[in-house]
Amino acid sequence: MRIGFTPEQDRFRAECRDWLGANVPAERRPLNAADALAFDRAWQGKLFTAGWAGIDWPTRYGGRGLSLVEQVIWLEEYARAHAPWVGANFVGLNHGGPTLIANASEEQKAYHLPRILSGEAIWCQGFSEPGAGSDLAGIRTTGRVEGDELVVNGSKIWTSFANVADWQELVLRTEPGSQRQAGLSWTICDMRSPGITIRPIRMMNGQTEFCEVFYDDVRIPVANVVGGLGNGWKVAMSTLSFERGTGFIADQVKNMIEVDEHIGRARSSGLLDDQRIAEDLALLRAEVAALRAMTYRNVSEAARTGQPGAEASLIRLFTSELAQRVERMAVRLIGDGIVDFAYGDDDPVAEYLRGFAQTIAGGSAQIQRNIIGERLLGLPRGR
Amino acid sequence: MDLHPGPDAEALRAATAEWLVSRLPLDRASNRPAGLWDELEAMGWTALTLSEDKGGPGLDHATEALVFAELGRHLAPLALISTAVARRWTGLDRRAALAIPDGAAGWRVLDPEGADRAIAVADQALGLFAFTSGEARPTIDLSTRQVRIGDASLDPIEAPAALLHLRVLLAAYAVGAADAARDMAVEYAKLREQFGQPIGAFQAIKHICADMAVQSAVARSQLYYAACALQEGDADVGFYIAAAQMLAVRAAIANGRANIQVHGGIGMTDEARAHLPLKRAHLLEHIAPPALRALL
Repeated sequence: MRIGFTPEQDRFRAECRDWLGANVPAERRPLNAADALAFDRAWQGKLFTAGWAGIDWPTRYGGRGLSLVEQVIWLEEYARAHAPWVGANFVGLNHGGPTLIANASEEQKAYHLPRILSGEAIWCQGFSEPGAGSDLAGIRTTGRVEGDELVVNGSKIWTSFANVADWQELVLRTEPGSQRQAGLSWTICDMRSPGITIRPIRMMNGQTEFCEVFYDDVRIPVANVVGGLGNGWKVAMSTLSFERGTGFIADQVKNMIEVDEHIGRARSSGLLDDQRIAEDLALLRAEVAALRAMTYRNVSEAARTGQPGAEASLIRLFTSELAQRVERMAVRLIGDGIVDFAYGDDDPVAEYLRGFAQTIAGGSAQIQRNIIGERLLGLPRGR
Repeated sequence: MDLHPGPDAEALRAATAEWLVSRLPLDRASNRPAGLWDELEAMGWTALTLSEDKGGPGLDHATEALVFAELGRHLAPLALISTAVARRWTGLDRRAALAIPDGAAGWRVLDPEGADRAIAVADQALGLFAFTSGEARPTIDLSTRQVRIGDASLDPIEAPAALLHLRVLLAAYAVGAADAARDMAVEYAKLREQFGQPIGAFQAIKHICADMAVQSAVARSQLYYAACALQEGDADVGFYIAAAQMLAVRAAIANGRANIQVHGGIGMTDEARAHLPLKRAHLLEHIAPPALRALL
């Protein structure tokens, strides 16, 4: 085992650092949805043109064709350079794209992957429904096969960026009368299709990042099904494995930097003399270091086996709860400044409030514990 | 960067685990057979990082940590740690006990049997002293005994890496204790039935076990990272090792406690083994605890 990188990897890191140092925009990502979208697209386009999009994606789809290790190096340097949050490109880059790479047809990959990488196509997710949250197999939105089209009716919820997205990874019940995991299909839905209505939902931090989406006889070509009709559950699980696994590396490095900044701030303000704050910060610093070690372990295992390790669910659970502790600490350090929070503020309080999503989205912390208990530890299924 | 044990390290770990299952079963942790030390010494565990010209296999610290985590899982003697550190950094050619401060001037010498030298840990520094073992008395950890002695004259161990090495091995033992508690709880949750099914089917129990798995994985990951940092002379090695030690001891205590809860009434008894990892964890908590300033 070793933590050092090879000379080539060190050179790659230096290359990342140099480019980011010269190109990271000085302005913050705007809060207003239209401006934020323009900002996200422009930044992603710049990354793509310079060859920094899809570090570990195949070259024939516009990626760099390097390994997961280089992807990790890039994301570490990305966070260190305080480069912008991936924003509206999150779904396409972190799970839509990887799902297509693993499951889609050649035509689907050739069309969509370069557009995701260039920022031309924004993706959103369409998994959760009002009646299918943690119990995802309870999906009721239907796609009735009619000739070479699916006719979609129903609704999805908690869809981040639905109001700006071009495409959606939409999981539908395509076999009439099917139950639970059977009879589902993972499809690519054009968000400009007639019959789609989008209602933005304001979050408790005042921002409107996610939406409810309604489908009224929306027509999707059957050719847009990924992985075959009726195989949607399997494809959706691979999407979630990306969301739960490597999709969060950037956030992990961000946590590490934030904790160091909290410590610096607490030291200069004198709060570090408070023994409880000092102990909590020390633990957080150790935990974010351990999170990097866990990620390295998982990436090392993936490099040897070609699969994210089975322990990805442990990382996912630990990451989400740790990020909340880091956000909570930021708010503790603000003290009574939290009282002044108002909608429209883009500050640590807004981050703290948004952070509640960490242990809910992409499989709640409780669902993650079920997965760990049953799949990793071999405990019997049951509720 | 590669934090996955390679085939050689994994083979050594597996062989260690296999030997320990037959020779050092956890349920006999409070009553180890006479002559055990000679067998442990013969396995070469106190010389793993010694170079070949000094009679060792010249393994790296990460492989050593992997092996010591297995030893820790079986609550192996603490003297394996102190002897390995003494051999590597002072050239001592025999068993060394492990001493921690007892009040202002005295020492608790842990695992003193058969030793006349002890590695002593105080004020973030390491030294060696001679002692004469009297009758050993219990510690909370039923597999470790102690003698308490007055003032001793310490021979400082100058190499700064010696204390770091000791901390890595202590962290490895704590990771082992955390794993032992996790495995015991999971095994019991699969067997014990209430309300007509194994208690591990209930989320109330399943989620305790999942948290134990997270604790263990976090601690083990940082242990690997810290051991590599020591091997590669990383600039921040002091922090990485302090973090590993703190997280490992926390995991051992958290899992040790949870294990007793999962066992219910039987977990309260001396007869069941559930209390053993927790007690080892509470001893490890007081051996060279990292300073807060090393973590900030």
